[in-house]
Amino acid sequence: MKNKRFAMVLDTRRCIDCKACTVACKAENDVPLGPENYRNWVGEEKLRGKYPNLGQSNTPCQCQHCGNPPCAHVCPTKATEVNSDGIVHVVADKCIGCKYCMTACPYNARYYNEETEAVDKCTFCTQRIYAGRLPACVETCPTKVRVFGDLNDPNSEVSKLLTKYPSRVLKESQGTKPYLIYII
Amino acid sequence: MARLIDKKLSRRRFLGTSSCALAVATVGSQTTVLKALASSGKVTTSQGAGTKDVFTSCGMCVNKCGVIARVRDGRIHKLDPNPEFIKSRGMLCARGNAGVKVIYDADRLKYPLIRVGKRGEGKWRRASWDEALDLVAKNMNEIAEKYTRAGVMFASTEGTFQEHFFLQMAECYGSPNTVRHPSLCLTSNIQGFGATYGTNPTPDVLNADYIIMSGSNRSEALITPDSIDQLKGDGGRRKLVYLDPRFTKTAAKANEWYPIKPGTDMAFILAMINVIVGEGLSAKEFVEERTVGFDKLVPHVKPYTPEWAAKECEIPAADIRRIAREFAAAAPKAVYYQGRRSSFFDNDTQMRRAMAILNAIIGNWDTEGGMVPNSKIKLAKHDYLAPWYDDVPERLDKGSAVFLSEKDGSWANFRDRVLEAKPYPVKGMMIYKQNVLVSVPNRAKTLKMMDQMDFICTIDIAMSDTAWYSDVVLPEATYLERQDPLESLAGILPVVAFRQPCVEAMFESKPNLWIMQNLAKRLGSEVAETFDFTMDEHIHHQVSKNPRILKDLKTKGVHYMKVLPTYGLTTGKRLKTKTGKIEIYSANYAKKGLDPLPVYTRHEDVPANKFRLLVGRSAFFTHGTTANNAYLHDIMPENTLWLNTLSAKKMGLRHGQMVKVKSKVGEGTLKLEVTEKIRPDCVYMAHGFGVISKGQSLIFGRGASDAALIEEKVEPISGNIAMHQTFVEISPA
Repeated sequence: MKNKRFAMVLDTRRCIDCKACTVACKAENDVPLGPENYRNWVGEEKLRGKYPNLGQSNTPCQCQHCGNPPCAHVCPTKATEVNSDGIVHVVADKCIGCKYCMTACPYNARYYNEETEAVDKCTFCTQRIYAGRLPACVETCPTKVRVFGDLNDPNSEVSKLLTKYPSRVLKESQGTKPYLIYII
Repeated sequence: MARLIDKKLSRRRFLGTSSCALAVATVGSQTTVLKALASSGKVTTSQGAGTKDVFTSCGMCVNKCGVIARVRDGRIHKLDPNPEFIKSRGMLCARGNAGVKVIYDADRLKYPLIRVGKRGEGKWRRASWDEALDLVAKNMNEIAEKYTRAGVMFASTEGTFQEHFFLQMAECYGSPNTVRHPSLCLTSNIQGFGATYGTNPTPDVLNADYIIMSGSNRSEALITPDSIDQLKGDGGRRKLVYLDPRFTKTAAKANEWYPIKPGTDMAFILAMINVIVGEGLSAKEFVEERTVGFDKLVPHVKPYTPEWAAKECEIPAADIRRIAREFAAAAPKAVYYQGRRSSFFDNDTQMRRAMAILNAIIGNWDTEGGMVPNSKIKLAKHDYLAPWYDDVPERLDKGSAVFLSEKDGSWANFRDRVLEAKPYPVKGMMIYKQNVLVSVPNRAKTLKMMDQMDFICTIDIAMSDTAWYSDVVLPEATYLERQDPLESLAGILPVVAFRQPCVEAMFESKPNLWIMQNLAKRLGSEVAETFDFTMDEHIHHQVSKNPRILKDLKTKGVHYMKVLPTYGLTTGKRLKTKTGKIEIYSANYAKKGLDPLPVYTRHEDVPANKFRLLVGRSAFFTHGTTANNAYLHDIMPENTLWLNTLSAKKMGLRHGQMVKVKSKVGEGTLKLEVTEKIRPDCVYMAHGFGVISKGQSLIFGRGASDAALIEEKVEPISGNIAMHQTFVEISPA
């Protein structure tokens, strides 16, 4: 069977920064408590303008599951792997906690998990998606900012959205080829 | 018995109690939403004992969204949204997801507690249920003997699905004195719209093309389905005009934001009516057929020109005029969204009347994209014969507001009368989960009221400030551990929700029905008889006329009859007003000596060197109950005081420093947040911090309490509290 190219397409115009994604992810993936521990987050962009003419947007963010992942390149023990469907993940047993990958990631998407004694990050909820379910953040999102799917399938919702709308990726100039894609 | 172990050791290995004895309906198959992804994987449900998926309802706020609890090895691992739950559009917010930390919370109440130190000192001893309930019954009987049964007040939260058992207890014990949440929230809203339409309708946000929101922050004060529907389409298939003294997350999503001067919304609304009436933009046929009093409205709004309003509300006249025209042009798919909480100013009922009238004259009543009367799915009512006591007086707060709800009362007026002991003393307090020390403004006064009580008993799941000041604290099982009665949730698309235990109740916590039944036994056979039923019997009685409801709940976690709205059900029918029509002019108000058409009243301006204190919701917290939740605490560990950049500069205050905030009734110290996002004459702080209970270990000593600062002005028509009429001074701490 043809491999998948999993990706997430986000419509930030709908994001109200309610943090449902962050809490859902923490619960689903046993992310330890603490404000520094998270696999995904919502970034508040810089406030535009001066009172009373203001504007602000939000950027939900997490591991970009890069096509060219710097984290994997720097790992001395090859603990960061990419699976056949494009999911970048950390093999906890191989991780020695050197945190090179955390420094290498331009998106600051990784944290050190004291409980597993390994670096941890978004996995697109592999435990869910390979059981036919949606990633926790996608499923719970109140305003449906996030759409998850397979870019190798032209009929998937993610493929259709990218045909319909112009889009951008974060820090494109770094050459990481991210697969979190934001509708403009 | 389950124990809470240190989280570092236990997060993954935490074992709850064994799987529950009651037969639970588990999730059979995933729905179509999820099937889309199933091509490469298999859908799993059950992997053995203690592992199951259970349909239930969220209990974190008033919305009661459908939830699927993923129970793994006897422990709730994750709460997922139920995609079939149409009212919440299949979502679960941050609070809903944080529900696992309600059940697995080291701070939760575990056993009945009896106070041994002074009130509020925090010294307790563990008691058996028998001893604790004996003590409660003894005190209730003694107070009844000494002061009549009205001497015990019953303060209750709402929306737990088991609240009515508490209210039944009040009635059967024989006290008329129940005080509930609405007079701290929305009674003026219900009154203003009720007086106009005979009901408080729901704005059809999903289908409206033009929405004006004032006093309602739907991106943070989440209400289903409105909060979701306002973001419909590609982020903007509608126009949203938003009025708020703060640049909230709703403002960030609005097409236009106006930092309106607090307390002047009515000027804006009356000027809109002035334009629509003056330019002949009203829905003439509709107004003629369905309303009364339009002829009186025409001269009434004449002086309320946009130019006049601009001076009041600080929104330019040209914008008011343009918005009024756009609003009328979008009619009937246009709504002036009335929101929910309306505890702002002491003329709030009349302000809501103005909103209702503005909606009425553009003819959006009961149409797609307009103001739609709620539908509700009928459940059979649980009847009981309450014992009769002839010496029980009327409600303590009777007559304190023009239209006082018999069941809800008026919290602030009630408290004043307790303190005056007029017309009679109230010496006992039974509290069901209402955190009165956080929810009722002027905390010092509430403490004074509690000080004069002979006895206080609180039923809760956590050591709230109110529990902390009680004599007996009874631990209720959390919403994830209980079988609850079915609940019919009204709306444009009404649903029936239910709750079943996902895991067995931990420690010695008990459902409220069990607590009431066992208390009733101690209050005599007449009271006990009214509680002589099991939860199963109760539920089967509820669905006795329509057993399909329970079948649906068991197979998909929700019951509904339609997925598309039905409009125009009231066409050709009388509304529940005196005239049977929409009452633009209220003869009923005139008879009571109230303004029959809303007359603008001006509020006191902010005095020099002071600021108006604003309250408002965040999407992470529900009232005074969730700030100590470990997941939510990670998001917002304390509250801050918002102050406009210019104001801070003038006062020489800098971002992040500690400041003291002082009002006429209290003070607090918290961190300053210097921001562009607020009017220069206002300050704001989030609710639920500055607690006095050391049993809220994560937030104790963090932030400040708005309840300690707010003066309790009261809206005289509905008895609703007015929370935006407090001025504070700020100084470096």
